[in-house]
Amino acid sequence: MTATWAVTAEGLVKRFGERPVVGGVDLRVPSGAIYGVLGPNGAGKTTTLRMLLGIIEPDAGHRTLLGEAVPREASDRVGYLPEERGLYPTMKAREAVAFLGALRGLPLSEGRRRATDLLDRVGLGHAVDEKIRKLSKGMAQLVQLLGAIVHQPELIVLDEPFSGLDPVNQEKLEALIVGERDRGATILFSTHVMAHAERLCDRLAIIAGGKRRFEGTVDEARATLPSRVHYLPRHPAPGIAALLPADAVPEGDGGWRFTLPDAGVEPVLLPLIAAGHGIAGLTIERPSLHEAFVRIVGDHAGHDRSAGENRA
Amino acid sequence: MSRLPRSLRQMLTIARRDFVATVFTPIFLLFLFAPALMGSLSALGGMSAAAMDDSTADKSRIVAIVAPATADMMRREDVRLRALYRRDDTPSDLLIQSPGRDPAAQARALMADRTRDVDAVLYGPLDRPQLLLAPRNRRTGDYMDALAQATLAAERLGGDLPRVAATRTVVERRTTSITGQHQAGFFAVFGIFFLTLFLASQVVGTMAEERNNKVIEVLAAAVPLEAVFGGKLIGMFGVALLFVGFWGTIVTQVASLLPPAAAGAIGDIAPAIGGPAFALLFAAYFSMAYLLLGSVFLGLGAQASTPREIQMLSLPITLIQVGMFVLASAAARRPDSWIATVAEIFPLSSPFAMAGRAANAPQVWPHLLALPWQMLWVVLFVTVGARLFRRGVLQSGSATPFWRRARKVG
Repeated sequence: MTATWAVTAEGLVKRFGERPVVGGVDLRVPSGAIYGVLGPNGAGKTTTLRMLLGIIEPDAGHRTLLGEAVPREASDRVGYLPEERGLYPTMKAREAVAFLGALRGLPLSEGRRRATDLLDRVGLGHAVDEKIRKLSKGMAQLVQLLGAIVHQPELIVLDEPFSGLDPVNQEKLEALIVGERDRGATILFSTHVMAHAERLCDRLAIIAGGKRRFEGTVDEARATLPSRVHYLPRHPAPGIAALLPADAVPEGDGGWRFTLPDAGVEPVLLPLIAAGHGIAGLTIERPSLHEAFVRIVGDHAGHDRSAGENRA
Repeated sequence: MSRLPRSLRQMLTIARRDFVATVFTPIFLLFLFAPALMGSLSALGGMSAAAMDDSTADKSRIVAIVAPATADMMRREDVRLRALYRRDDTPSDLLIQSPGRDPAAQARALMADRTRDVDAVLYGPLDRPQLLLAPRNRRTGDYMDALAQATLAAERLGGDLPRVAATRTVVERRTTSITGQHQAGFFAVFGIFFLTLFLASQVVGTMAEERNNKVIEVLAAAVPLEAVFGGKLIGMFGVALLFVGFWGTIVTQVASLLPPAAAGAIGDIAPAIGGPAFALLFAAYFSMAYLLLGSVFLGLGAQASTPREIQMLSLPITLIQVGMFVLASAAARRPDSWIATVAEIFPLSSPFAMAGRAANAPQVWPHLLALPWQMLWVVLFVTVGARLFRRGVLQSGSATPFWRRARKVG
């Protein structure tokens, strides 16, 4: 593969006291991609992201951030939205965005100019001079997100960016993420909401029990489960079950549901047509990312909940 | 951008934020004008106390029971002797009575008088006088002795003591006096202590804001924690400088309006190193004292997770400051002693003690060593504070301060 990697991690391990939280995670995030880190609550997503960013040091393993072995060296080229949002409540929205940019090397005057544009773009133009404490939670979250991208970073790390947002703001956020990717930035975000990952991710990793359980595209994740066939005969008759695959189960509408065989649906349908059952309806359903996630995570979910995550 | 310039830039960004967030609030005005409030209250209290004192003094008397022939002489000597006393140290007004049939009973009756406070009553012949004295009036008794003696001498010399006034010539010193140096030393130590007592302890709670707002996560991702700590220290130091600058300007302007003779009132303050150098070193050592104590307090305060824990820290913090003041004061009183050397080397007392040294010794080179030495410790304290925070708060995530972790280990 010739892609350059925005982020790499090999065997990252983190324990809090006696409790293992991340147990050897490997990641490779291609430059210019939207990359999702999926996992149930307490899977170790946030700890993994914090290790990648250099907020905490791993107990074992290596990572690079934009080619730098020491993440701090790349900090001016990175934007970060933590899971626990934090802004100074007495700061005005524009100042907050400019301040977060200034921490990453953007001059304050330029930060203020860009902040005004960005706030306007997300429909917060009226709140430019509002103090953060006067904004709603969702609005404050958008302000913080703008603070993570105002310096036009090469890599944007978003920890559960959609939590706490209403559907309208979620849509705005998705548009912002896609816009940043189109600008050339790499987006690495964690979520446990599959719909966002399904719509946005070029690639994703599923973490459970502190370990990576899957890495690939959304389609590859779905492909870990077989497709399902819903067949509705034109002339149902008692002998039809004998012509269907062994796992076929009857449905309430008179139809049958079974796993799509490796050879395709045609070898199943031909005998049914020949026997005069006919086809009133036929649907091949690809599994959703949600189903694939549940399957991949499997029994690890129970363990994950006990792992928990911590920060200041 | 290389690491150091980037860290400095980030530090100044945080310092600027803290400075603006602190200064542009109504509470800061209260803080800035607190000395004026304190001064006004002190003045009011002082005036009330003085008024009470005056009203008490109006009713206090010392009494001499002497023959009418001696009364005028005693009044003259009383006027002469009183001129030697400062206003607030002058004995109560003198009341002269002629002796009755029983002067001793007359004196006891005067002491028992409920219409006024009688501090002392003198009666009997002046070469062997008797004195009745109210408790805690030993100095009044001494005055009455001196008055009796002067009156007796005047009486024996025919009514008046000779008046002698020497020809006076004021000779300016070419070198600073030891007393003046010690005064300057004490002024330096106390001045820095006073300023840091008010200003440095504010640093202790500054990290609490970031922890409560969860901003620390964003800062920690963007900026090395050492730069966060350094930035917060510099920001609060800026606030302290603004405070000192504001009141320094007011005090110097008020002082410039005073008549030249008033300068004599501040005594013979004369630092051995010279006035301008002393002023510069005072500013430098105030800065170092603030940064040293502030860095320690910042590191301690960052470990506290609740306002209550921060409040609990105020006592040990004040004790540390008082301890450094006592150590440095002792050093200023005995500049060449081993305790002075200890105070000058020990990092937290070093700025106080070295300011005292500037008053007591003319050498410049010790200050050229002391300032980098103190700066080194500021960097060390900031680094240690940041590392404790990273380990104790960020990494475990449970906000367990080091003292609790130590207890667990114990």
